[in-house]
Amino acid sequence: MPELPELDPVVHGKLRLAVLSLLVSVEEADFTWLRDKTGSTDGNLGAQMLKLEEAGYVAMQKRFAGRKPQTLYRMTPAGRRALAKYVAALKRLLGGAL
Amino acid sequence: MTNIEQHDGTTRDDLVQRVALMEAMIAEGRQSTARYGWMFVLWGLTYFAAIGWTVYLPYTEWAWPVCIAACTVVFGIVRSRQPRVAGKIDNLRRHSLDAVWQVIGGGIVVYLLAVIVSGQAKEPGYLAAVLFFNGLANGVSARILRWWPQAVAAAIWWGCGTAMLFFTTRTEELALFVTATFCGMIVFGLYAMWLERGAAALELHHA
Repeated sequence: MPELPELDPVVHGKLRLAVLSLLVSVEEADFTWLRDKTGSTDGNLGAQMLKLEEAGYVAMQKRFAGRKPQTLYRMTPAGRRALAKYVAALKRLLGGAL
Repeated sequence: MTNIEQHDGTTRDDLVQRVALMEAMIAEGRQSTARYGWMFVLWGLTYFAAIGWTVYLPYTEWAWPVCIAACTVVFGIVRSRQPRVAGKIDNLRRHSLDAVWQVIGGGIVVYLLAVIVSGQAKEPGYLAAVLFFNGLANGVSARILRWWPQAVAAAIWWGCGTAMLFFTTRTEELALFVTATFCGMIVFGLYAMWLERGAAALELHHA
């Protein structure tokens, strides 16, 4: 029997997976937009974004839009690779369902 | 949020839920992303149509006005059918890009109309200015986006525009114009469209 593939635990978390899926289709997104789209709280999202940053899957940039501070996130090439690998693993685990 | 640190206890339903979550989020992200690649391809084809008309068809003075008007109508229809931007993704930068392309695009239209009305469309080199206008728009856009492929597109426009001032026969002029349009607009637009597919590259679609 073939060995089942490992699922990257950093990607596998629901909120982190939701964020990565959002970021894969946009160039960059600000924190409040990610929070609204995922229906998360500031604290929870902040903690998960930190984990993604530590894994090198997203890059964060702080700046001002006019006088308003903005925290922007973008997916790194490593994050894109990790998500692609996760999808491939899911495909194998689910067989023909994907 | 449910954190599953290892998949040993993960059920099939959990995995199916993950797939549904990914698809929903990717769809959300796509709805929030304006797509630009098709615009370059459309305008590139318009340039080809206009220049082809000036070479092969009569009433050449109508070539640019008719082609630009037709393209503007198609552009407006397609854009009006695109989903509205739902998210707050770097609106300042998007506004800057829109401003650059609207102002320079407007400049190209005014310039071409002025060239036609003044009867200078038969003079060599008038197309060089169109190439420089396009290089300018792409160059500013590349600086705003910090995106080197668009800087390459700008360099192509400027390079062909510069060459057009040295190679002034009608054939050379047309060859340079076609080269710049093909590389700087059609190929660049197709490349942008390919990048915009983004998530599609992950092959998330159901079989």
